[in-house]
Amino acid sequence: MTSARNDTEATESALREPAHQVSPRAIAYWQVGALVGLVVLVIAALVCWFLFPHPWWAFAIAAVLFGWVLVDLLIVPKLRYRIHRWEVTPTAVFTRSGWLMREQRIAPLNRVQTVDSHQGPLMRLFNLSSITVTTASAAGPITIDCLDHELAQRLVAELTERTAAVEGDAT
Amino acid sequence: MSDPNDPDGWQKLDKKMLLIGPLQVLRAFAVPAVVAILGLGSTGIFSLMFLPLFIVVPVLLGALPWLTTRFRITETKFELHKGLVSKKQLTAPLERIRSVDLESSLLHRVLGLAKVEIGTGVDDTRITLDSLSQSQAAALRGVLLRRRAASAEPVDETGAPMEVPGTSPLSDGIDAPAPNDPAWLPAPPEQVLARIDWSWVRFAPFSLTKLALVAGAVGVFSQFIDDFGIFDQNTVRNGWARVSDVALPWIVVVLLIAGLVAWLFISTAGYAVQWWNLLLVREAGNLRLTAGLFTTRSTTLEEARVRGVALTEPWLLRRVGGAELATLATGVGSGGVTSILPPCPVAVATSVGQSVLKSDPPLLVPLLAHGQAARRRCHLRMQRMALVAIAAAIGSTIGFNWSPWLPVVVAAVLIGFAVLSAEAQYANLGHALTQSHLVAGSGVWQRCRTALECDGVIGWVVHQNFFQRRVGLATLIATTAAGAEKLEVRDLPLTQAVALADAATPGMLTEFASSSAP
Repeated sequence: MTSARNDTEATESALREPAHQVSPRAIAYWQVGALVGLVVLVIAALVCWFLFPHPWWAFAIAAVLFGWVLVDLLIVPKLRYRIHRWEVTPTAVFTRSGWLMREQRIAPLNRVQTVDSHQGPLMRLFNLSSITVTTASAAGPITIDCLDHELAQRLVAELTERTAAVEGDAT
Repeated sequence: MSDPNDPDGWQKLDKKMLLIGPLQVLRAFAVPAVVAILGLGSTGIFSLMFLPLFIVVPVLLGALPWLTTRFRITETKFELHKGLVSKKQLTAPLERIRSVDLESSLLHRVLGLAKVEIGTGVDDTRITLDSLSQSQAAALRGVLLRRRAASAEPVDETGAPMEVPGTSPLSDGIDAPAPNDPAWLPAPPEQVLARIDWSWVRFAPFSLTKLALVAGAVGVFSQFIDDFGIFDQNTVRNGWARVSDVALPWIVVVLLIAGLVAWLFISTAGYAVQWWNLLLVREAGNLRLTAGLFTTRSTTLEEARVRGVALTEPWLLRRVGGAELATLATGVGSGGVTSILPPCPVAVATSVGQSVLKSDPPLLVPLLAHGQAARRRCHLRMQRMALVAIAAAIGSTIGFNWSPWLPVVVAAVLIGFAVLSAEAQYANLGHALTQSHLVAGSGVWQRCRTALECDGVIGWVVHQNFFQRRVGLATLIATTAAGAEKLEVRDLPLTQAVALADAATPGMLTEFASSSAP
């Protein structure tokens, strides 16, 4: 199997991209989430600074943590926005997600059992919603993160209607 | 068996439950009751006045289930009413009944009784009838399963029963006898798939799954010994010093032999108790497994629910040519994995697996290897684990000033072990696609081959972590409602992964495969 390496170029095209991107407001939402993490980290660092002695390795840990949060704040949201994509066809749901790891999920609509939407308090601020589509398999739920709220509502209604028409117990 | 005076066909549990019920309650009450009596003992004769209470209450409590439980089978459903204070009414549509299991403990068997457990739907709730006479239980089982088979027609392509609007579920060819008619339908022919062969017992000591239980029991026992106080530290230390002076190697040898003999005995006895009179049959669209020496179990699986099988060969068992077989089914008890054969010769496990699957030979086809990139991934993954342990060894050597040889030895052993593990993992890794089954090989020291019906695949996940993406590999996960709810094909070249998924479920992801579009 020496071809495995040569296949690398062709790999990205084995499954095509899902058609749609998530809401552009998702970037801001993810950034605010990371910012909250940063604030928490700064407070924790300050508390530690005043309460405990600071040996050299404490600085090293702090530097790594700050570096991570900064990456999470400045780079990850845009990367994620580029990678997170979704598509609902008449027969299936198809998503792509992750930034370091990458995951493509497909569930045919005739096997879908429930369609839920979720909106956290911070998401409400940005008028975003997430949709989770579950099948009879615990390994199979598909989440589309950070859709525009109205679009998500429409999608849930549409998916529910379409899956309700399917007979049997979808296993 | 049923009350002939009851016009609605309501039946009760067996009368002997009036005997067993109080006994069971007494057993549960025994310890608190004894404690209470002993506690009150200081007040003399006074406690004896409570004695009747400790007998009457359990008798009443134990008799309650018999007094309050009744059930019946109507044209379309199974109904169960029970409870005195909080009344419970359970109704299960007959076509939803997935399994009917019988279980008899030793006490039940002496009295000729059997507990019936009825499994419905995809959730785990089961209706329990504790207990009926053995003949009544067997007849109930037969009727429920045959009615279900009759009312489940026709079956849609997923194997799930569909509602037939407007028609009585019993109208297609099967007469509906009165539920209290003892002469229920004649039993259809059975096909025996497997029967216990006592030469298989030789595999018992090589199956270590029970060892954990034994170790746990020993642990509990040693806790007990502590309480006796014979073995206080001094006696132990003095005794140990005296004995180890004499013959430490001998003690070790004797202990090892004793342990080995004990394990031989325990494992063989456990095997015999669990798999006594094992019988696996196919009847009327069901697989039925009966086994057990003291407690006999009878497990019934609807064949349409069986989506595949898993053939497992743990390292030790594989050395002596043994294997275990389990079915992967939907909507059955815990995990959906039902062990249907004890450790037995691999040829037997394979052929029984084939006959359970009925169709093409997914347990026999050679698996396709995943290539050198996958092999390198195995090695890297294993070495990464070794690296963590080696780093820990180096760290603690520096920290505690241990001999510098320690990390060297640890590294040599771990790296060697990692190489062996990686090669073993790669040798077990593979996949195949037969007419109707997706087959995946996996495992490091335990070789596992899982065959899943393609119809049972209800979605796909293509997962690539950072390292896999760099070398163009992917882990393909078929999601399913059966068994462990997913089948993983690890480290497959991405294009092959997509092609495999596409071939296993034609059409499911054709529209997403870019290469298929012109």
